[in-house]
Amino acid sequence: MALASLQSIPAAPRRWSRYRHPQSTIRFAVLLAVLTFLAWSVAFLNVDLLRILGAFPRLAEILATRYFPPDLNYVSDADFIRSVIRTLEMSLLGGFFGVVFSIPLAWLAARNITFSRRIAYPLGRFAIMGSRSIHETIWTILFVTVLGFGMLAGTLALTVFCIGFAGKLFSDELEAIDMGPVDAMRSVGASPLQVFQYAVLPQVRVAFTGIAIYTWDVAFRAATVVGFFGGGGMGWYLKRTTQQLESTRVAAILLVIIALVLIAEIGSGWLRRRISRMR
Amino acid sequence: MRHEKNIAESRATRGSTADTVASMSILQVRNLKVSYAASGPQILKGIDFAVDGEDFCAVIGPSGAGKSTLIRCINRLVEPTEGDIVLFGQSVRPLRGSELRHLRRRIGMIFQEFNLVNRMSVMDNVLSGRLGYTGAFRSFFKAFPREDIDRALHLLERVGLQDHVDKRADALSGGQRQRVGIARALMQKPEILLLDEPTSALDPKISRDVMRLIRELATEFKVPVLCNIHDVQLALESCNRIIGMQDGYKKFDGPSKGMRKQDLDEIYAMEVL
Ligand SMILES: Nc1ncnc2c1ncn2[C@@H]1O[C@H](COP(=O)(O)OP(=O)(O)O)[C@@H](O)[C@H]1O
Ligand SMILES: [Mg+2]
Repeated sequence: MALASLQSIPAAPRRWSRYRHPQSTIRFAVLLAVLTFLAWSVAFLNVDLLRILGAFPRLAEILATRYFPPDLNYVSDADFIRSVIRTLEMSLLGGFFGVVFSIPLAWLAARNITFSRRIAYPLGRFAIMGSRSIHETIWTILFVTVLGFGMLAGTLALTVFCIGFAGKLFSDELEAIDMGPVDAMRSVGASPLQVFQYAVLPQVRVAFTGIAIYTWDVAFRAATVVGFFGGGGMGWYLKRTTQQLESTRVAAILLVIIALVLIAEIGSGWLRRRISRMR
Repeated sequence: MRHEKNIAESRATRGSTADTVASMSILQVRNLKVSYAASGPQILKGIDFAVDGEDFCAVIGPSGAGKSTLIRCINRLVEPTEGDIVLFGQSVRPLRGSELRHLRRRIGMIFQEFNLVNRMSVMDNVLSGRLGYTGAFRSFFKAFPREDIDRALHLLERVGLQDHVDKRADALSGGQRQRVGIARALMQKPEILLLDEPTSALDPKISRDVMRLIRELATEFKVPVLCNIHDVQLALESCNRIIGMQDGYKKFDGPSKGMRKQDLDEIYAMEVL
């Protein structure tokens, strides 16, 4: 039987290519257009590759003469250390509230489990994309003009930033869940909240924890510059020293930022690896 | 039994003889049509049938015939486009929000892919069958009432999983997982069971065991069953009535004993292989 039906299959067409005529032509044209644009940009901007390469030794020279040695006394000062702690506090608060608010928004903005595709979905998407589309420093400037200088403005800016950052990642994660358990919980007559808790959360809990930690890590990096625009924390010291051309102090502050961000990144990476093993 | 009370009620409220006869059926489906997209193809093209109190009814047909679509319309996991579904004397299509949830909790459903929550324990999976009856506060803290816990333990024993109560659902074999699915559905004290190919993901030997268990429990709890099956042999063995579907139409409806080879050939005529 099987053999007979195999033999009756008509001979395969002789010519085969991955992309057929209109598709292949379009691909080729797009590639050509991109390359042309790149070449034109290089020519138009007068980008001189040799000068770019030459910039690196010059940068090293300036760093060595003006920024060295870093003024470590300046960063051991109690006021500065207090501002570092405030930066940490802002990142924790902003990260926490950002994550808390972004979960319901992500729920609305996940196509598969949203309350309504006509109303809730676009609202959730709009809120998340709105937070993302404006850079965190601009949020800081906006909140500082409304609320005045200080940590409150910075914390709010970081919260909005985290809503955009975590909300996008959360809703992507929600859209990838297995809908089987959701069907099962709906069919026992569970309410939307019960469906979320019993069928959705168990599937995303590990990923959400990882994302929350990652969000804090990114929020901390953002928090170091929020102060530059009046949002509180160590960024203010950066602004003052750069404006007064105190290069060795700037160097010390930059070293502290690099060290802290590295520590935060290594710590959060380690935690996330631990958690993802709990799957 | 609950549905008997319900029938009695609908009899009392309506009264006319024709309606009395009609409401003898627990489930009636009339002229059911479904398309998933407004401009898409029609998947069900006008299905009529009724299920009575003692039925163990199989829906057979080649894959793609619309069996899952049909069964998922009954508890509105899929929205019908046209026609009527009357369950327990109540029209299903107009129900919204909590009315719909109250109907759903009276319908047990068992799925081909089990649809357990893998990262929850077997016990929590079974208990989740009671969610429709559990208040928001209790369910939030997973504080199910004592009698639900007792019932869950009893059912787990009944399906032979008493030694796996605290395991995670994904630590079980396929057959064991489907038994959890069965226990979860029975937690609802369902008045009808909808089964969507409950054994298609299992190997033949386990399939027969699971099917026998479902049959036993359905008889024990006096629940009518509407069951999609791809495997004709299994359907003829375990069900007393057969509905044959092909390409969105009902092609056969009758007792499994009366089914002839030519009926089967007609239902499966479209299937290649
Ligand atoms: N969610 C869906 N969206 C669009 N089409 C679907 C969906 N589910 C099923 N279909 C289509 O409906 C038809 C019948 O499917 P189904 O009811 O699953 O059949 P069966 O269970 O008999 O195999 C198939 O052609 C399938 O592609
Ligand atoms: Mg199916």
